[in-house]
Amino acid sequence: MVELRGKYAIAGVGLSRFGKVPGTSTMGFTLEASKRAVEDAGVPMSEVDGVLVLMPAVMGEQHGWAARVAAYLGLEPSFCTTLDMGGATACGAVQVAMAAIEAGYCSTVLCAFATQNWPQGVPLQLFGSELQLAYGDVGAMCLMGHIKRRQQYEYGLPDELYGRIAVTWRSHAQRHPEAQMRKPMTLEDYFRSRWVVEPLRLFDCCPNTDGGGAIVVTSLERARDLRRPVVRVIGAGQSHSAEMIEPARTAREQWGGTAAARRAYSMAGIVPNDLSCAQIYDAFTPRVVHDLVAYQLAAPEELNGAFANGTFTFGGRLPCNTAGGLLSEGHLSGFGHVREAVRQLRGECGERQLPDAKLCLVTGYGGAPHEAPPTVSYSALVLARDV
Amino acid sequence: MFTIEKPLPRGTEDTAPFWEAALRGELRMQRCSSCGHIRFPPATLCPRCWSETYEWSLLSGKGKVFSWVVVYQSQHPAFNADTPYNVAIVELEEGPRLHTQLVDCSLEEIRLEMPVEVVFEKVRDDVALPKFRPRR
Repeated sequence: MVELRGKYAIAGVGLSRFGKVPGTSTMGFTLEASKRAVEDAGVPMSEVDGVLVLMPAVMGEQHGWAARVAAYLGLEPSFCTTLDMGGATACGAVQVAMAAIEAGYCSTVLCAFATQNWPQGVPLQLFGSELQLAYGDVGAMCLMGHIKRRQQYEYGLPDELYGRIAVTWRSHAQRHPEAQMRKPMTLEDYFRSRWVVEPLRLFDCCPNTDGGGAIVVTSLERARDLRRPVVRVIGAGQSHSAEMIEPARTAREQWGGTAAARRAYSMAGIVPNDLSCAQIYDAFTPRVVHDLVAYQLAAPEELNGAFANGTFTFGGRLPCNTAGGLLSEGHLSGFGHVREAVRQLRGECGERQLPDAKLCLVTGYGGAPHEAPPTVSYSALVLARDV
Repeated sequence: MFTIEKPLPRGTEDTAPFWEAALRGELRMQRCSSCGHIRFPPATLCPRCWSETYEWSLLSGKGKVFSWVVVYQSQHPAFNADTPYNVAIVELEEGPRLHTQLVDCSLEEIRLEMPVEVVFEKVRDDVALPKFRPRR
């Protein structure tokens, strides 16, 4: 296999405005985030010859979405495609970008995503299969509820753990002026929040977010010529599985994402203990539990104590989701996580800057939780400060 | 008043035999003729050995609750009036798991690993949904 470790870099990152932003468009956010990322990188727009765009689910079936984004940006890419791994796409797109550059298809790749949750001119889609919709099993929340139920049952995890995750990330968002959810939250607030899909409380769930993000990937040599501190991609991995319904086994037997973790760590040549921080894909609190275990960052039985004693917050052993995560920064399908990781490694995070951040893990998760079988992709990046 | 109907299965080449069996009061899934694996969801080939030959095998209808959730905030207008309602995943004695709903028990009575058996709820002349009730 061709060795890609450290040959490529994330040269630029950007987010559009985000939050509840009515009257805006998906394309508008995509262009806004793309411009910010390319300007952040400091490359001329004419140099962008690869475009990878995540299909926003709410748009339904949009043909040629990535090519349309490129057209609106006035680009004529030599490599351009729409990607469809949901929340696994931000990390996955970086991996595809590296492979495409290595293959010689392009040299500088823009990876982008945006969504407007109430788009005009697009009929609302009802996702799901005939094997579950008839029972009222609709949307991602039912699957996440099932996952939380099994986690708690198989590992004896207490409700407090999930509350502590939500409360910890919320405290991080208070150091992040752009975050969507900044109101202080206590464990009591968490327990008072209503059931949405039991066992998920409202504060187990991220908000709906309008907005987008973008990432610019280029060669290490090119990145070193640019004005920003360089962030190298030293590890990348993905894995894919069906969950809950055959052919998935129990959580214990088949802990989805462990293969993505193994691949990313192996490519990076690191062990989990080497990490300075992590950005965990957390559209729902059970995802944090899942990835902390799958990525060998904690054992299930340690988690509640670790959140209680500050292991995963500022000053702890492994600060995670330093911008508040999807749960509090907002749901930008993981593009927020990549931006936060890059900015931590560059030392640009102001009041939430970690001292001496060298290595950051970013995880992604997404796909079709509302199908039978629920099918999801896991993706991960290991990013390193260039020295 | 305008009402939104629940999305009921129409069946496809792959799934129609499953729904037709349910209408007759039978729980049937595909058993691979090559390796014997019973698969679900229905599909034209076996995910273990890719054999395309199979028979629609009659199952015991017995299983246990693998997971359940209670929907308080409806995600589809046709289910608004049903909230709070349960959605469950049942693991059958023969191995496969399926999305379903638990009936003949209150939300408070539901437990993980609770033994259940299939019942068929006729929701329209031509559609019956396999649901599960506690085995007592």
